[in-house]
Amino acid sequence: MFRLQGSKVLAVDMTGDAVKAKNGSMVAYDGQMAFKKLTGGGEGLRGMVTRRLTGEQMTVMEVRGHGTCWFADRASEINLVDLQGDKLYVESSNLLATDAGLRTGTTFTGLRGTSQGNGLFTTTVEGHGQAAIMSDGPAVVLRVSAQYPLTVDPGAYVAHRGNLRQSFQSGVTFRTFLGEGGGEAFQIRFEGDGLVYVQPSERNTIAGDV
Amino acid sequence: MAFREVNAKMIEATVVPGQRLFSQRGAMLAYKGDVSFTPDIQGGQGGVMSMIGRRVANEATPLMTVEGSGTVLFGHGGHHIQVIHLTGDTLYVEADRLLAFEGTLQQGTMFMGSQGGVMGLVRGQVTGQGLFTTTLTGRGAVAVMAHGGVFEVPITPQRPVHVDPQAYVAHHGDVRNKLSTALGWRDMVGRGSGEAFQLELSGSGAVYVQASEEKL
Repeated sequence: MFRLQGSKVLAVDMTGDAVKAKNGSMVAYDGQMAFKKLTGGGEGLRGMVTRRLTGEQMTVMEVRGHGTCWFADRASEINLVDLQGDKLYVESSNLLATDAGLRTGTTFTGLRGTSQGNGLFTTTVEGHGQAAIMSDGPAVVLRVSAQYPLTVDPGAYVAHRGNLRQSFQSGVTFRTFLGEGGGEAFQIRFEGDGLVYVQPSERNTIAGDV
Repeated sequence: MAFREVNAKMIEATVVPGQRLFSQRGAMLAYKGDVSFTPDIQGGQGGVMSMIGRRVANEATPLMTVEGSGTVLFGHGGHHIQVIHLTGDTLYVEADRLLAFEGTLQQGTMFMGSQGGVMGLVRGQVTGQGLFTTTLTGRGAVAVMAHGGVFEVPITPQRPVHVDPQAYVAHHGDVRNKLSTALGWRDMVGRGSGEAFQLELSGSGAVYVQASEEKL
């Protein structure tokens, strides 16, 4: 059972079950806990090879026990996501913890990933259960519907879920080449039906420089 | 009460004549009224011998005495501030985390080795506390700094609490702490879960934990 203690600390009450969390993110616990690193993100040999090849490596540990365990990472804001059989796309660096019952995997993102400065691949989480994702500053959840597509700065994108198509959009004009660009040369456009998590801060991306 | 939290990163202290406050030097942001700030060469209370003690123990944070009548705003480095009210028990905290405390509290230095001998010293090294730590005893308020928000975990005799040494901020009450290791073969081959060392606190009291594993 995941709950937030303040906005920066995740408390998980456990009764013999397990959660997967980012390596080293435990700050305190009471009761009995065991920590075990999951090689290759707990996805087996195939997952391990895929993560190595795609550069979406994450070091994950399995926490199992009785009691309450608190997680936090560099004072990042934490958002809880309830998954009911749908799929969450999130950068591995933004994923703090998931229920052990959720499956994680990697997926190809194409040009969007490169513009975010995160590489060509991203992490997916699917199944039934809860996940905790981190953002730099409190994230806003924006709804995308058929009539209202959404365009997001690649540096501020955190995660998305639902049935969304994403396309890469460029606002490069002759001004960009003259060094007079607005700093918003690339955007990601989401269409379909779903939710997008956006943080009030921008990672360093190529798009922000031009 | 002497300290009022203005927001998560700033506190307002009320100074009345005859009641001194100590604060970290340079942590004053603004003040109203007639308040004087005196740099404290001794670094706190207790005369010259205490000063030497703190110098030797490397727990000598530059402090200043705040006196007069008025209100003072304190804050430092954008760190989160937690106000802890002590009612006769002892707070253990690193000197560089202390932002301000009331003059009614008795300041002291504790040798880490006095709780647990050699393991106490090892614990001090792992938590970055060094060989000594600062204690504050009595009745009054203390403002402690931390990176990210702070939360309090109560410790009861039935439920010992384990804390990541890097996320530990302070603790108070009648608490015994020891360093517990969960080293396994995985750690030896570089496949550890990153939680090999934990601070185990048992007894009755409370521990303050920050939402980050970064030092100040």
